[in-house]
Amino acid sequence: MFCEKAVELVRELHRMTDGQLPAFNEDGIRQVLEEMKALYEQNQSDVNEAKTEGKSELIPTIKFRHCCLLRNQRCIAGYLYDRLLRIRALRWEYGSVLPTTIRFHMCAEELEWFNQYKKSLATYMRSLGGDEGLDITQDIKPPKSLYIEVRCLKDHGEFEIDDGTVILLKKNSQHFLPRWKCEQLIRQGVLEHVIS
Amino acid sequence: MDPSEVEFLAEKEMVKIIPNFSLDKIYLIGGDLGPFNPGLTVEVPVWLALNLKQRQKCRIVPPEWMDADKLEEIREQERREDTFTPIPSLHYMELTKLLLNHAADNIPRADEIRTLVKDIWDTRIAKLRLSADSFINQQEAHARLDNLTLMEINTTRTFLLDSLNCMYKLRSNLQPGSGSGKAHDY
Amino acid sequence: MDTQSYMPVPPGVGMEENFLSLDDILLSHERLPCKTDTSFPKLGFLEKTSESHDIPENTKMEMPLWMAKGLYERKRHVISVDLPKVYREGWRTVFGADANMVDLHKMGPYYYGLGSQILHFENAENPEIAQSILQTFIGRFRRTMDSSQNAYNEDMSALLERLDCLERALFRSGQNGLNAFQLWERGRASQLTASSLVTNYRKRKITELHS
Repeated sequence: MFCEKAVELVRELHRMTDGQLPAFNEDGIRQVLEEMKALYEQNQSDVNEAKTEGKSELIPTIKFRHCCLLRNQRCIAGYLYDRLLRIRALRWEYGSVLPTTIRFHMCAEELEWFNQYKKSLATYMRSLGGDEGLDITQDIKPPKSLYIEVRCLKDHGEFEIDDGTVILLKKNSQHFLPRWKCEQLIRQGVLEHVIS
Repeated sequence: MDPSEVEFLAEKEMVKIIPNFSLDKIYLIGGDLGPFNPGLTVEVPVWLALNLKQRQKCRIVPPEWMDADKLEEIREQERREDTFTPIPSLHYMELTKLLLNHAADNIPRADEIRTLVKDIWDTRIAKLRLSADSFINQQEAHARLDNLTLMEINTTRTFLLDSLNCMYKLRSNLQPGSGSGKAHDY
Repeated sequence: MDTQSYMPVPPGVGMEENFLSLDDILLSHERLPCKTDTSFPKLGFLEKTSESHDIPENTKMEMPLWMAKGLYERKRHVISVDLPKVYREGWRTVFGADANMVDLHKMGPYYYGLGSQILHFENAENPEIAQSILQTFIGRFRRTMDSSQNAYNEDMSALLERLDCLERALFRSGQNGLNAFQLWERGRASQLTASSLVTNYRKRKITELHS
């Protein structure tokens, strides 16, 4: 049956329910586009045949292939759109710089889209809250205090805090830091928020 | 909504404290607070009360309803009646947790209060489930949520809304003619 | 529980599918028993059992929902769609007796979704089908709700096993509400945590290393 490849793409993405981004399936997309091209060409020639030779019995077949074309189109649109939703979520969860492992899972157009999204969001955040702008990806939960206790889960190197002091984030070391400075590192899994 | 956001809203509730320091009136966007005089009762929002308490600058006076005898009465009434009884504070759950965690030494019979409030909560949540079921069973179109608190609504909100959406979906199937629309999803 | 930044396109409400919803795309891939009411020239190769060049009239074949919807026409006879077993009278009686007894996952798993969709095809029994799936949902609601509110920290697979896709989604939203509340109760709601995306990527990398 036609359109099996296209549904396979959708299934592959649907299996990852928690929003992870699997590698862009370039080969799968190519195969679907090839099938669409073949369907389109067969239909073109049958439409001509039906017209010139008055073969109206071909019409159900033409309609059949046309359904398949539209179905393939829907699957690909759904696949690409859902990936964009996942990529957008990455900006909120990881911040504006993505780890290379994830970048490898994106195609060139998706990387470009991510950069554009990042820019729009930055422009918007700069326009908020006076001259300084406002980082709306921070304080997703209401903060209880300005400073929090954190533990390093891995070596992260030197880290500069507000007053210019530089501290060394070494695995298993514990620190008392401004919350807004560590929120992103916690989300990235570098630090762990310690609650007594 | 995350429960931490519900708790954040509860922190705006006013509570009485007895400070052990002096400070003139302070002017904040949310309103003026103080003045503070040692030994004199003053009303402040819960967030400030907890902050002062943590720094040992005050004693917190528990709200009137946070009293084991009164809560026991409420618990009995809640168990007796089928409907949700009016609760003395719309943030009873959050305030109990906040005040008992940070100022248990200022609240008499703190452990009893903790258990009582938990009992009241459990009774009410069981009622909420029961009424959700009969709501679906009788295919009602709207519900009155009298006397429910934000935290209670919040724990079942998405579930209830999703259930109602399902109901809507399945009920719209019954409408004759709704299927005559073009079926062109490929 | 962290606020999720990834929100997939929800499935459609009512008889409409949502074009971009992955759930609906997979639902419309479910197969229906069909019969051709006209011949489809040159497509014989799709029917593995036949050697003929065409799909002749009166061929019984299974078609995915999307294709049946695309080809079906009320006025002209192109294909006719037969009722899948679960929606026929025999099964409707079983559901009517005690909907809780049925393993809807095995029978479905898109019992409600597909049931709503087959109403697109003309059938004298449609009103009864619509009524039957609504009553099934109502009859099973209490169980779906109670299990979603009680299963915290327990193995949920046994509970989930017998639920249809729609019920599973409901179950999950009930669980999310409960988990968030219990996290708050234990004083963990204000704790900042690593993004679930990050932790899952790491888990996967480790399993990849081991495999």
